[in-house]
Amino acid sequence: MDEEYDVIVLGTGLKECILSGLMSTDGKKVLHMDRNTYYGGESASLTPLSQLFDHFKQPAPVDDKYGRPRDWNVDLIPKFLMANGKLVQLLVYTGVTRYLEFKSLDGSFVRKTDGKLHKVPADEREALSSSLMGLFEKRRFKKLLSYCQSLDLDNPAAKNKDDKKIDPDNLDATQLYTEFGVDKNTQDFTGHAIALFLNDDYLHKNCKELIRRIQLYSGSLARYGKSPYLYPLYGLGELPQGFARLSAIYGGTYMLGKTVDELVMEDGKVVGVKSGGEVAKTKMVICDPSYVPHKVKKTGRVVRAICILKGKVEGVNNSESLQIIIPQNQVDRKNDIYICVLSNQQCVTAKGFYLGIVSTTVETSDPEGELQIGIDILNGKDKSNIAEKYVWYSLIITP
Amino acid sequence: MANRAGAQRPNGATQGKICQFKLVLLGESAVGKSSLVLRFVKGQFHEYQESTIGAAFLTQTVCLDDTTVKFEIWDTAGQERYHSLAPMYYRGAQAAIVVYDITNQDTFGRAKTWVKELQRQASPNIVIALAGNKSDLSNKRMVEYEEAQAYAEENSLLFMETSAKTAMNVNDIFLAIAKKLPKNEGGGAAQPRQQGMKINNSETSQASEGGCCK
Repeated sequence: MDEEYDVIVLGTGLKECILSGLMSTDGKKVLHMDRNTYYGGESASLTPLSQLFDHFKQPAPVDDKYGRPRDWNVDLIPKFLMANGKLVQLLVYTGVTRYLEFKSLDGSFVRKTDGKLHKVPADEREALSSSLMGLFEKRRFKKLLSYCQSLDLDNPAAKNKDDKKIDPDNLDATQLYTEFGVDKNTQDFTGHAIALFLNDDYLHKNCKELIRRIQLYSGSLARYGKSPYLYPLYGLGELPQGFARLSAIYGGTYMLGKTVDELVMEDGKVVGVKSGGEVAKTKMVICDPSYVPHKVKKTGRVVRAICILKGKVEGVNNSESLQIIIPQNQVDRKNDIYICVLSNQQCVTAKGFYLGIVSTTVETSDPEGELQIGIDILNGKDKSNIAEKYVWYSLIITP
Repeated sequence: MANRAGAQRPNGATQGKICQFKLVLLGESAVGKSSLVLRFVKGQFHEYQESTIGAAFLTQTVCLDDTTVKFEIWDTAGQERYHSLAPMYYRGAQAAIVVYDITNQDTFGRAKTWVKELQRQASPNIVIALAGNKSDLSNKRMVEYEEAQAYAEENSLLFMETSAKTAMNVNDIFLAIAKKLPKNEGGGAAQPRQQGMKINNSETSQASEGGCCK
């Protein structure tokens, strides 16, 4: 530890581990520390199940009430990978994919104002068969979709080949929607359930980001079938571990369970990290915000409810694993509500049980109430599907 | 896909089974884990082996009668040094070699801790071998053969003293593991695992991870 490193990384969350892996691969001498005795920080997957209960300071369930405790790997912050997205590309590029196995999610759904859940239509065939829109609207939506899919954003010369007067350089997202005459409902599910914008800020920005995101969704869907989302077997916590192994293979030094006393500064610049009376020298420190609480500020809060479910979610064509998006406009909010459901297929629950997580950005003084609509979906008509529920908050932090 | 035992190929030739297993090495730093692998895979030995070998994993096959056993051997990449080995490392491993240094009593104690850890965390049917390495240095011996053997018997471990330097028992310990691994599909090589897929650049290949034979 009493040595000089090119870079010291604090915290073993996904981002920190990716950076550590890339820098070690690049020949940098990396020291990577975490105050916890496990990898992943907030992106760790808790296992066995008793860890989840410990985390929420609850007594663990007796015996095997929820199946084999070791079969559970519970993410506190669930996320899915777009099959064609950057993270997948990075996994392939670095070779980390060889340590991991993935499962494609069964479904991608969106809630409409009528309260029903609808499969998100992402290709032309689905657009025409979707229950989300009326007959004429379907045609308009199909045209929008074909336009976005055929457009080559990286090759602007080709952009106007088939299409008349649309110039994506000079249109914002609203204008693009207007061009195709799609209604508010279509705009909602396109922007939120396909392009995955969390709020409506995108409407007044250039439409190319919207187009790019639609292309990503369609491309990802085309890759593995039922949904565009991938999820690593045994939970998201596998991802940081995979990148940490990459870093270690290229010489990165790992120390878990290491308390960081302070960053050592000289003339306003970092020169080392002090831990347990020792100082490791470096000119660069990369860390997650929790290691420098006085240098970051809070800009928002996310509320999440983690639920253990006794059965499948209703109204989603028997999908066992899925994402449901409730666009903000449907429920008079500014931010969307996300629901993730995972199953034994992903090796994160015991057989027969499901994990449902509802989350959104906090807007009111009753954050738990904001999640209610999602919780009701998980709980089912009989209001009995949820066996356990824990609500917690995390801060959105910026430097 | 699985080649069944002695399955007739279209051209009439018989094909033996090929079974692939993930094998992990565990043990304190500097007991000779990488050296054992290097000796087994490449037949080499370096007195001053770099502490990591810079590879994701190495593969080597051993032949048993009509079966070819292919080991995918994972090294710790030094993550054990500050007790920072990721659980992902031994996830799905069907075999493990826990290594200690016969000239260092502490490493034997650490080896016992690793065996406990494996019994707690790894697949229930994992085949564990205990290797007392550096047997060429028996004049500096601190761990008695009998003591280690008794411990191995109590815990149903395979046990050999090995030397990566002289190659003594190196192939033998891998062979002994190969013999002990269940080689029929559904023979319970590991706990039944969910099927996942590997992602790669061009296309997806469905990995069948249920049994041992591919």
